[in-house]
Amino acid sequence: MTTGRALGLLVCTACRATLRAAGATPCLCPRCGARVHPRKPNSLATTASLLASAALLYIPANLLPVMHMQTFFDVEDDTILSGVLTLIQEGEWPLALLVFIASIVVPLLKILAMTWLLLSVHRGWRGSIRARSRLFRLVEYVGRWSMLDVFAISLLVSLVQISSLATVQVGVGALAFGAVVVLTMLAAQSFDERLLWDADDRG
Amino acid sequence: MASVIVCHACDLAHGRDPVLPAARVRCVRCGAEMYRTNGASIDSAIALSLSAAVLLLLSNVYPMVTLELGGSFRATTLLGAALALYGQGYVPVAALVLLTSLLAPLFEIGALLYMLIPLRRRERAPGQNEVFRALSRIRPWAMSEVFMLGALVALVKLAALAHVIPGVSLFSYGALMLVLSALTSIAPGEQFWRWVEGRHL
Repeated sequence: MTTGRALGLLVCTACRATLRAAGATPCLCPRCGARVHPRKPNSLATTASLLASAALLYIPANLLPVMHMQTFFDVEDDTILSGVLTLIQEGEWPLALLVFIASIVVPLLKILAMTWLLLSVHRGWRGSIRARSRLFRLVEYVGRWSMLDVFAISLLVSLVQISSLATVQVGVGALAFGAVVVLTMLAAQSFDERLLWDADDRG
Repeated sequence: MASVIVCHACDLAHGRDPVLPAARVRCVRCGAEMYRTNGASIDSAIALSLSAAVLLLLSNVYPMVTLELGGSFRATTLLGAALALYGQGYVPVAALVLLTSLLAPLFEIGALLYMLIPLRRRERAPGQNEVFRALSRIRPWAMSEVFMLGALVALVKLAALAHVIPGVSLFSYGALMLVLSALTSIAPGEQFWRWVEGRHL
């Protein structure tokens, strides 16, 4: 098992060309012109700070209402969880499960998994690297699905803003929730997977 | 240099196999897909990009959902979703929705057409590499498939309140989602550089 690092080779993060490290890094990719670093610079610190901000905002994102709905009969403040409960009451089980997973489980899973991955790199753990890299790819892939509820809310609001029967307004929780999605996506993008394997390659 | 290829996900160096017209190459250690080529012609990528452009146009022109509430009708468009958030003062969320549902797919289509049409005539678009790099940064933020599912959730929620009529835009946007995913699997990665190198640019 020989690594690119041992051979003095780099991979371009933009076009994935393999190139020879010429003198000082970062160097420029001969194929697409991107700046190529041996590892993403300050990966751990950047990921950790983005993740900490996301974890903090996860609390208001779940506690504050994401939507206010006012009809003739009642006024309703919906948090993400109460939106899921409403769907269950209406008998829309599959959809309730979908929203629950996309909006509540995925962001939480993402924050916990990324924290564990950061910790494992920081401590230089060598066990179960393949499983950890799989976990990272899962987290990276599912993260975008958390936007589901934001899209649903934006459509609801634009349709029923002010009509004769109901008024729907966005709640401040949506702001926190959107921030959680963006921050966790940025955290996954700034994490350098190769750090997981470096612990093993140091021998 | 082409004799060795390094995995972007775990840094393992691999001897490069003879260049195959269609291949999906995975890292032996971490299982990451290092590259994928399918021998697709540049013409098919241009055709898909043009269809995507037409579908995106349709999605913006026609209403996405129409709501019948007590005899009056209200319609919303793709842009309307972001505008409603903007109108209520949630500018960052509006910008996020605008970027992920409309601007990122638009940039994806525009960038591909900008690079591929000159390439077909064996020319290099000015700033091709800058556009390619911008595209690789913006692509993760194009979320048409998530938006579709979000629209479905909104429809079901509204169906409990009023009569909802799905609009043309909902279907064209669904088709756009499929075309974009087909496009992503051929055009932007290794296959793009094969087209560039095949034309000795």
